[in-house]
Amino acid sequence: MNNRITIRVVDLIGSQLCISAEDGQKVFDKVLPLLKDGKPVTISFDHVSMVISLFLNVAIGQLYGSFSEDEVRALIKVEGLSGDDMELLKRVVDNAKKYYSNPKGYDAAWQEEGNEDEQ
Amino acid sequence: MKVNVGTIQSDHAGFNNIAHIAEQSRDVLFDSVELDFSYCDFFEANMAAPLYAVVSRMRDELNDVSLTNLTPSLETILRKNHFLTKFQKTSLIDTNHTTVPFKIFKLQAGEQFFEYLEFYMHGKGIPTMSEGLTKRFRQSLFEIFQNAAMHSKSESGIFTCGQFFPYKQRLDFTIADAGIGIREKVRQYTGNAKMSSCAAIEWALTEGNTTKTGNQPGGLGLKLLKDFIRMNEGKLQIVSRYGYYQFSATGDNCIKLDHDFPGTCVNIEINTQDTNSYYLKSELSSDDIF
Repeated sequence: MNNRITIRVVDLIGSQLCISAEDGQKVFDKVLPLLKDGKPVTISFDHVSMVISLFLNVAIGQLYGSFSEDEVRALIKVEGLSGDDMELLKRVVDNAKKYYSNPKGYDAAWQEEGNEDEQ
Repeated sequence: MKVNVGTIQSDHAGFNNIAHIAEQSRDVLFDSVELDFSYCDFFEANMAAPLYAVVSRMRDELNDVSLTNLTPSLETILRKNHFLTKFQKTSLIDTNHTTVPFKIFKLQAGEQFFEYLEFYMHGKGIPTMSEGLTKRFRQSLFEIFQNAAMHSKSESGIFTCGQFFPYKQRLDFTIADAGIGIREKVRQYTGNAKMSSCAAIEWALTEGNTTKTGNQPGGLGLKLLKDFIRMNEGKLQIVSRYGYYQFSATGDNCIKLDHDFPGTCVNIEINTQDTNSYYLKSELSSDDIF
């Protein structure tokens, strides 16, 4: 097995706040080529003071657009997240798996929703 | 022109009144607009945020906006929460520590929003709450703030304001923008050009639905917010264009406003006596997640 590479989020984005899509993209852009090379990666959230779903969607959820569930499971680990933030990440990952299985699958029923009174 | 400001509380009637002000002044350019508070019996301070969304539209059209006939007590409240500093009045010190001041943020100012919350969450305006509740509350506010930043296209920024009501043990925090509204983005995304504001809000609240482009998953922020409010037994209101959505322990519904609110406003009211820990002793490991 290759040596595991650790990405320290705080160092990479220069902030303890994981709150923006742009910063999530920075993490994703580092992880993507490593996974393509089959290298195992640990994403470390040590010293992060705030993380929200938007960031996790882009940084980690987006990986399911390029890799299978088996590949992500085999290569990615996360550390430094509290229990409730791990639950949040789980929600993000489940949502991402669903999204990439049917990315444009919005319900056709919404096409019927209308209101002539509004401009 | 003169526009009457009625009673403004965080409810359907209050948002309707604000939307009505917007509608009456929509086509006014290079003029003076006087917001007359003579008929305002009550104004909940957090509603300064959506009111300013309307004022910012007026100022965009180079109108001179003034507030008149405020009662002395209302003037005190709106000086304590810094709202009147946007109308050339000085602020007052909030000796009761019940105010999170009115503030305007640029769309990219997430970090400044964090500093603002840090400052006012430490006894300067917000009551002492459990650490878990404080964390979930802040996360929720960020989800809303970043939603506005990403989707609103609000040129005048994001307006925020909070007020603690000690007798109710409730804290209202309101985030508004003067952007295109939820309806516009959802109409573009779904291709349904007639979708109503309420249907668009309901679409946005459906887990997994997102108008985010670029082949990225999303659409969790508002759902997480609802989960938090459900657990906290608080209240959530989302107002966008003609839609007024409310969610609380007693259920949820969306009612059409009579007037067009020019943007989006999210108000969350949390129960500050909530004793839920919110810290999940999760045993989830990476293997369980991926």
